[in-house]
Amino acid sequence: MSLADGVPHEAVVEKTVSHNVKERRAAWILTGPALILMVVILLAPILVASLLSFTNYSLGNSGFDWVGFRNYEKLFTRSTYAKMFVATLTYVVTVVPISVGLGLGAALLINSLGRFREVYKTIYFLPVMATLLAMAIAWEFMLHPSIGMINRTLEMGCGTFLERIWSFMANGCAGHFPVWLGDKRYAIWVISFIGIWQGFGFNMVLYLAGLTGVHRELYHAAEMDGARSAWERFRLVTWPALGPTTVFVVTISCIRAFQVFDTIEAFWPQGGGPNKSTYVMMFAIFEKGVQQNLIGIGSAITMVFLAFVMFLTLIQRWLVERKVHY
Amino acid sequence: MAGLSIKNINKRFGETEVLKGVSLDIADGEFVSLVGPSGCGKSTLLRIIAGLEEQTSGDVQIGGASVAGQRAADRNLSMVFQSYALYPHLSVGENIAVPLRMRRMNTLQRLPLLGGVMPGKTRRAEEIAKEVTHAAEILEIAHLLDRKPGQLSGGQRQRVALGRALVRDPAAFLLDEPLSNLDAKLRVQTRAEIAQLHRQLKATFVYVTHDQVEAMTMSDRIAVMMGGRILQCAAPETVYDDPDRIEVAEFIGSPKINLLPVELSETGQVHLLGEPLSLTTGRRTKAVGSLGLRPEALFLTDSNAPLRGQIVHTENLGSELFVQVEVNGLGSRITFRTTPDKRASLAQGATVGLDFDADKALIFDAIGARVRDTHSTTTSKTEVA
Amino acid sequence: MTRDWWKHLLLILGVIVVIAPFYMMVSYSFKSPGEIDRGEGGFFGRQELMVDERCVVRRDPSRADITAAAPRFPGQNDRDIRDALVAEAETDCSMRPVVFNYTMAFTEAPLLRYLMNGIIVTASIFLIQVVVALPAAYALAKLKFWGRDAVFALVLFCLLIPVHAIALPLYILLAKLGLTNTYAALVVPWTISVFGIFLMRQFFMTVPDDLIDAARMDGMSEFAIVWRVMLPTAIPALLAFAIFSIVAHWNDYFWPRIVVTGNRDLFTPPLGLREFKGGGDGSFFGPMMATATVIVTPLIVAFMLAQRRFIEGITLSGMK
Repeated sequence: MSLADGVPHEAVVEKTVSHNVKERRAAWILTGPALILMVVILLAPILVASLLSFTNYSLGNSGFDWVGFRNYEKLFTRSTYAKMFVATLTYVVTVVPISVGLGLGAALLINSLGRFREVYKTIYFLPVMATLLAMAIAWEFMLHPSIGMINRTLEMGCGTFLERIWSFMANGCAGHFPVWLGDKRYAIWVISFIGIWQGFGFNMVLYLAGLTGVHRELYHAAEMDGARSAWERFRLVTWPALGPTTVFVVTISCIRAFQVFDTIEAFWPQGGGPNKSTYVMMFAIFEKGVQQNLIGIGSAITMVFLAFVMFLTLIQRWLVERKVHY
Repeated sequence: MAGLSIKNINKRFGETEVLKGVSLDIADGEFVSLVGPSGCGKSTLLRIIAGLEEQTSGDVQIGGASVAGQRAADRNLSMVFQSYALYPHLSVGENIAVPLRMRRMNTLQRLPLLGGVMPGKTRRAEEIAKEVTHAAEILEIAHLLDRKPGQLSGGQRQRVALGRALVRDPAAFLLDEPLSNLDAKLRVQTRAEIAQLHRQLKATFVYVTHDQVEAMTMSDRIAVMMGGRILQCAAPETVYDDPDRIEVAEFIGSPKINLLPVELSETGQVHLLGEPLSLTTGRRTKAVGSLGLRPEALFLTDSNAPLRGQIVHTENLGSELFVQVEVNGLGSRITFRTTPDKRASLAQGATVGLDFDADKALIFDAIGARVRDTHSTTTSKTEVA
Repeated sequence: MTRDWWKHLLLILGVIVVIAPFYMMVSYSFKSPGEIDRGEGGFFGRQELMVDERCVVRRDPSRADITAAAPRFPGQNDRDIRDALVAEAETDCSMRPVVFNYTMAFTEAPLLRYLMNGIIVTASIFLIQVVVALPAAYALAKLKFWGRDAVFALVLFCLLIPVHAIALPLYILLAKLGLTNTYAALVVPWTISVFGIFLMRQFFMTVPDDLIDAARMDGMSEFAIVWRVMLPTAIPALLAFAIFSIVAHWNDYFWPRIVVTGNRDLFTPPLGLREFKGGGDGSFFGPMMATATVIVTPLIVAFMLAQRRFIEGITLSGMK
């Protein structure tokens, strides 16, 4: 094995070189399929979308015209797309903070309990597991204006003191309770509610995982240092320790919120809700690009969407690396 | 500064009784170590003193006043934790400042942004900064104040934890195995520094450790704990030379004390392997017991050796030599200490005779209690011979 | 416990809101249309025999039926025979609502086929993801080659791209290749899981080099190492990834909705449910909820059985 045994020096070199070549060849063969698929399935489509967003291409047409920035111009001038951005951002801005807050709250409560922790955890996690489309349909029945459980429950409050202190109840009892999904005042909030319902359990589980990483002695140290209230201990120990978790939870909640589609398509297969109040971006891409075969405008929405999502993820990475890294 | 008094503390976790009636008085400015094997209840006792854990029964007094029902934050004690428990998101300076900020600023003044405009904030902040710098200078970590704990070495973190404890003027310092996460070399150095700190601050220290060397080297008194009880609390020398119980004798001292089975006769004569030893005790009843001999109590002898055996192993530590001997008729090994220059004559397998210093012999009865009033009977033995 | 009562109160309120739609879904799948309309019958419904009107209509006796049945009803006129036959049909068509609902779920639409499709698609996606990702992850973690950092950078970049977001260009590519309305269309976009590569690479980084060197000393090729050494060590991580992948694709609705149009044979469970909803009238609440229950149940049951693994798998993306 060793040089002292009389193996010529060159032979050793040759052997290592050939070994390196072999290893390199193996490496490329092993990564090859993944590389090709990454390029074809993930990168090429972005390129295609960015090109098509400058055309008026339609599937089935033999040719197309370059239309410059006209698609983007439409996107930022037409009221339909204004509604799209409003709906999307309303949804994201509602769902993200509330589902993160509820997730944190539930995690803190559950973590402080001695018993039944697993029970709560399991139940809160159920919506994450369940097929969202099926649950959307269940919610649709719950929200049914006449036979839905929600309005039936509200009706039970009629004739009680609730009617006097809450004008919403009074109006409902006098006339009728809201047609939740058919009313443009409520539609986006109902969708947001379902988004929160579905997502907060996921955040809770991430926070619970984060909480197990908080060193118990830190709480004792905080107590010794004079942090008397639960709030002070939370500020001094828990919240900073959950920093990385929070960054991650917020980002992933944002990305998921941007992608909301199932509930909206299930409730309003056409047109994106009453007065387009729930016309979110994923639905717009589906409607314009796939249903109406307006590939150009669909691609433009895709590009804007990608920009949003990538921007968010980059912010997250930056935050994780810079700020919350100890 | 204040003394501590622990009165008949009991602690149960469900069915298991962790502390069984522990009482201990610690004088103002005293350094007391709680030492014992893991699971003996020493950390629990410390945490009960701190207020992090509640006793099942009994009372803790600080400076003569009972702190029953008072929470940890109100007891004015400082604690250094085994893991240091530094806040990872705060710089060293901020970490040290936490106890002061928590106590001197109200909730509004502590708020990150709003706090700045609250009255009195600036003056207090300056005061605190001054005290933090002072504490950091004592511990020679002033140059680290802006770093985060993650950027520090173990030893430096340990100092920051000490700094956080001594920045305010607590009634007592509680230290929970503060050296156990340091490497051996640093531990020896920090040991000396904590002892030095104690002398400098003249404060009350309660120090929990499983390492008897730490306890021996730093303390005014050592409380040896086992099975939820304090077996003995006395000065290190006393605990070593004059242990009350066999467990204490076994726990303190390295290498371990040699224990040989002996019989005590009605006359108080001690017999080893059926042969009378030149030793009597104050007890006048026939019984079996143990003879405890520290390695340094044994010495080599040629004639009339009460113990004979073959050398099975030698350990040369440079300054001293420990020799393990398989004793004839006993089937167990004993260790004795000698000087390395004897090495040549102590070959493996050689038969040696050993005698011991009767003054240093410790006799324990069958249940491990010390039998005192031992007397050397060397002269009478010679006569008999 | 007593001090924590307010926590339990809050959490139980949360539980009610979380459980409500599940409760309603399962409850409706037990009830008769009348009970659903009137909102009565508790959780299980009264389970009174009900008549399936559509079944009765289907068995509406024709002239020939009446003639054929005449010998059984001697001396009765056609009208009476007809009534008797209708009554017979009604008896035959009456059943408990729960049986009715679940029978309808499986007969009204090829639900079994949908479930099979769901299994085929999720299983193929997962298998191909592993076949592609595992070797790449191994190479990125353990082999030194020129360009490795570039490949890994590419992986990190691709992690930024949610596949749903590029659905439109993918759809165009597949349409151009004539692949829409095929199993391939359902599977292909998911064959590359950059997340899987990233995850497995991180895992492989923790595998000691000695293990691989030992395998090489034993004369194994790099390919053998991937499948016979690395795969077995990666089982726990792979299991978590499997759950992550299967849950995501069983529940996915957006992508199948885009590439499968009209061809019922390719419907995945969510698509099937969607069509059921689109085609049904009011009286179909029961069967529809039965369908929904059937679709949701497999994952929920699996989740109940292996909670820890599931939570681990779903939150995998939280691991760093």
